[in-house]
Parts: sequence; structure tokens; C-alpha cells
Amino acid sequence: MMTSTNAPEAVPLPEILIFPNRLLKAETTEKLLNRIYEVPHVRQVNIAGEALPAVLSSGPNKGLPNEHPERRVITVKGEQVELRLLVGRVFVEIDDIDHVQRALEEIDEICIEILPFGFNLEVGRYSKYKPTVTDYKKCKR
Amino acid sequence: MAYQAQYYPGNSQIAKNRRRYMDPSEKLKKLRDVAMDDVVRILGHRAPGEDYKSIHPPLEEGNEPDDYVRKLVTPIEGAKKGDRIRYVQFTDSIYFAPMVPYLRAWMYMTRMRGFDTGTLSGRQIIEMRERDLEKASKELIDNETFDPAKTGIRGATVHGHACRLDENGLMFDAWQRYRWNAKKGEVEYVKDQVALPLDKPISVGKPLPDAELKKMTTIFRVDGVDMIDDPEVMAMNLRIHRLRTLCGFQAFALKGE
Repeated sequence: MMTSTNAPEAVPLPEILIFPNRLLKAETTEKLLNRIYEVPHVRQVNIAGEALPAVLSSGPNKGLPNEHPERRVITVKGEQVELRLLVGRVFVEIDDIDHVQRALEEIDEICIEILPFGFNLEVGRYSKYKPTVTDYKKCKR
Repeated sequence: MAYQAQYYPGNSQIAKNRRRYMDPSEKLKKLRDVAMDDVVRILGHRAPGEDYKSIHPPLEEGNEPDDYVRKLVTPIEGAKKGDRIRYVQFTDSIYFAPMVPYLRAWMYMTRMRGFDTGTLSGRQIIEMRERDLEKASKELIDNETFDPAKTGIRGATVHGHACRLDENGLMFDAWQRYRWNAKKGEVEYVKDQVALPLDKPISVGKPLPDAELKKMTTIFRVDGVDMIDDPEVMAMNLRIHRLRTLCGFQAFALKGE
């Protein structure tokens, strides 16, 4: 999971899950994220997918660099982000439940344009919104 | 009366395909021709043209102790020469790949000899004497059990068979051993099966269209042919589960079933 902000939330905020029918290329991910950030009331975007390791982790060539063309730096909102995944799920957090419907409609339009192979949209809460006891024990926060 | 093998029950298209792949009297269609040297490069066990390394002297030197089984079994070519045991491993996507791992095992058992095979959820390994392995690999890459987009040759880090396909319709591979060549419309290997980069890309041809794959696949799927629509297959599977639940591997011990 790659997340765009570490700021904790006071209450669990709604998320829109974009579930494309195909795993997204870096180029498509970059395009999609930039368009989503233009939608009003989007607080943060988290992405999840299939990990692309930097080095070969097993086999006789263990330790050699893994040259994967989709593992590269992309530019989101003018910031350079190292993409380490082939994206399979995008979680768009909206700053208030009252804005979800409008954002959903706009995200639907964007997805129709950028994801021609099909997608599903869902509204819910898919990730933790504050540190758990385990996180405290692991000193993550 | 001689025993006649019954390969697979059922009347659905999937059941028929399974029977056809398992029946050694059925000749499988050859869909592509990948050069033998290229197959050797993808396997990555030796360089093309290099001698086979051996682990024991040739059998014809007669150093082996006398043994009934040795007299009974004709050795395969690699065993005669004392070749090393090497491997090839195929990964099959759940998105209507022509084969599934356990069917591969059944098919290998009926069509090949002199190998060991292992079944896992998404992959199937063959261990065999090196020169025989190369021949078997070429056959399995060239014939209809292989689809360039939905089947992968992966020695390690095989993860991807149950993932969604990528935007080009290829099965996910964290090491990207093969890539989509949009100009040619073909899939080409750029790394060997353990992800060592190859000197030049090796094309394995065009992926089959989805409609074609749905006709020739051996995978029961809700969005294809559902297993529940083939009563004979369902009955067989339920019976296996029932016997296994009641008496483990001693199905013969259960009377009246």
C-alpha cells in the first residue's frame, strides 16, 4: 500500500474504491491519479496492487536488479513519486460524507475516459484511519 | 478384455477438452515453432551448443549393478547418457488458460515418460534429464497447451496466475520475463525462466483471441462453463470428496459406497 499523507483523521472518512478490470500501467496510474486530485474534496489517495520488487528475491540470480519497466518514478500533483506496484486498487478518500455523491459522479466520468477495459466503483472504508494497538507496539506512530 | 483408460467424465466442452489433452492417441495441434536454441535460452540451464553436463557415466559402459527394474525399463535418452536432472515450470492464468496445473500433471503422465512432476496451485514443474527436458519443453511451448499471454515459463517467483491481467492482456509477472510487442502484436521473452536477461528477445507468437481460448480451455469458471452444469463431473468430484472425508486415502476400505 502506498499512501499520500500521514496526517491522522479525527473520524473515519468515506473512501471511493476504484477497482479496474486490469492491472494498471505506470503511465495510466499517473494519468488517473493526476485527474483524481483535480476532483474537489479529495483528501488523499492510496493505491494498492501487485508489488514489483527492486531486486530478484529468489532463484539462482537472487540479488540482481529486477528490471521492470513499470517500476519507475511518476509525477503526481507535480511531485515525484516512486511507483513500486502494478496498481490494482485505488482508494480515494473524500473529506466529508456529504461530498461523496458528487465526487463519485466525477470519478466515474474520469474512469470511463481513462480505463476503457472496465472498472468497478464502491463506497466504503477500506483502510484504518488511525493507528492500531499493533502500530503503537511496532512504534509506527 | 484389455483395460481401457477412462480419462475424464462429463459431456461439457471443458470435459471433452480435458479428455482430449489426456488421451495420448489424440495428436495436439502445433500452433507455433520456437527454435530449439531459443527454448534452451529460455530454460537457462546451458548455453545453446554447449555440451550436456553429466552426473554419471553412460549406461552402455555397463557399470551399473544387476537389477530387475533396469532390465524391465528402457532408459530415456538423457538417462542413457548420464545427463543432469533439470527443470521447466509452467504457470497457467485462471483467465481461461488452455491448461490447469493438475491437468498438466495428468497429461504428462499419459503422454511422457522419465520425468517427475509437481503440482501447485498455479504452476507445474517437470524435472527430467536435460536433453529430454529440452525436447519436452519445445513440444509444450509449440503446441496448443501454451498460450503466450496466459501461460508463463517461470522457474521462480511464479506469482501471478490468480491476478488480474495487465492492460495488454498478459498475466502478471513481478519479474516481467516476457513483454508485449505492440508493433508485431506478439509476446516476446526478454529474460530466461529465472529472470536473467536474454541477449535478444525471443518471440513466442501472438496470443490467442479470448473467444478461441474459451473454446479450448480446461478451466471450469462461472463466467465460462460452470462445473455445476456438468452433472457427471460434479458427481465424480463429490464422490472423491465424500470418500476422502470418510476414509482419507483408504477409499477402498469403505464398503457399500
